[in-house]
Amino acid sequence: MWAALRSRYLHPSATSLPSSSLINRPWKLGFLGLNQTFSSSSAESSSKELLSLQEVEKVLSDVRADDVTVIPVGNQCDWADFMVIATGRSSWHVKNIAQALIYKVKQKQKGAKRLVLPSVQGQETGKWIVVDSGRVIVHALDEKARTYYNLEKLWTVKTVQKEPVEDLTKAFVKVRRINNSKKPAQRSA
Amino acid sequence: MGGLGNNFCNLPSTSSEMTCGSFLSQQQRTFIQMRTVLKVVDNSGAKKVMCIQALKGKKGARLGDTIIASVKEAMPNGKVKKGKVVYGVVVRAAMQRGRCDGSEVKFDDNAVVLVDKQGQPIGTRVFGPVPHELRQKKHVKILTLAGHIA
Repeated sequence: MWAALRSRYLHPSATSLPSSSLINRPWKLGFLGLNQTFSSSSAESSSKELLSLQEVEKVLSDVRADDVTVIPVGNQCDWADFMVIATGRSSWHVKNIAQALIYKVKQKQKGAKRLVLPSVQGQETGKWIVVDSGRVIVHALDEKARTYYNLEKLWTVKTVQKEPVEDLTKAFVKVRRINNSKKPAQRSA
Repeated sequence: MGGLGNNFCNLPSTSSEMTCGSFLSQQQRTFIQMRTVLKVVDNSGAKKVMCIQALKGKKGARLGDTIIASVKEAMPNGKVKKGKVVYGVVVRAAMQRGRCDGSEVKFDDNAVVLVDKQGQPIGTRVFGPVPHELRQKKHVKILTLAGHIA
């Protein structure tokens, strides 16, 4: 089972995460447990991207970010696999979260000739900072921005929205117009 | 349509008749410049804005660029009112834009998403398709708010 999970992680773009509900729970509850078993394989899997999911989780727990949510969006969009949303208590805290992630990337790439840094948007204001590291996108918001933009609702509702449309097309029943005319019904001979 | 300004139709030779037809049936789309009216595709309250300055580029703004615009038409209860000067990011442009693999992308209309001076979107949702070019131009926030990515 671990081999299957590892192979799924190594090729995130190829699979469509069929049992995403199965994976979703352990992230929120017991992801740290998975972390230890992955430590042997993390060296090879994380070298492909700038930041992997476990590293992001670890950095966010080190910085003590509130309310870390991981949303797998690999089945909805093809330009990212995971969206991580974290809340900071103040604008300084939000900036600190972004700085910690960049520091982690720099540490990972120590000794390389050229540093490939993730792109950061929104660094001057501490309201909403996006760290784009390839397949994983980290959003650091403050409380007000999180309630204002409501990103979870946007990205978890997307998959649900597509299903009701098919029911609607089946539910179309031809409705006859009510004949209110006072003329007698013509009998065709 | 008559302002295309080429005299190919006057040529009598048959070989240029085919090119003459294709020239007239397609418009030459150009940059987004001062006085261009654009559609607003987020829920910030504005409906139409008029560009008053393209921030980068001498000739005008293209797909993915930022512009300064004045709100010409707005919903009655929205976050922006008519006459306000706002910044916007062009998310759909009728002028084609070349991609790095050699293909070109163009849309049917000119559309913009309103942002504030720091680049934060004013609205919370973006409607319609948005192109991938926004990721390269550091507008990932607009991409996350969008539903459909071209």
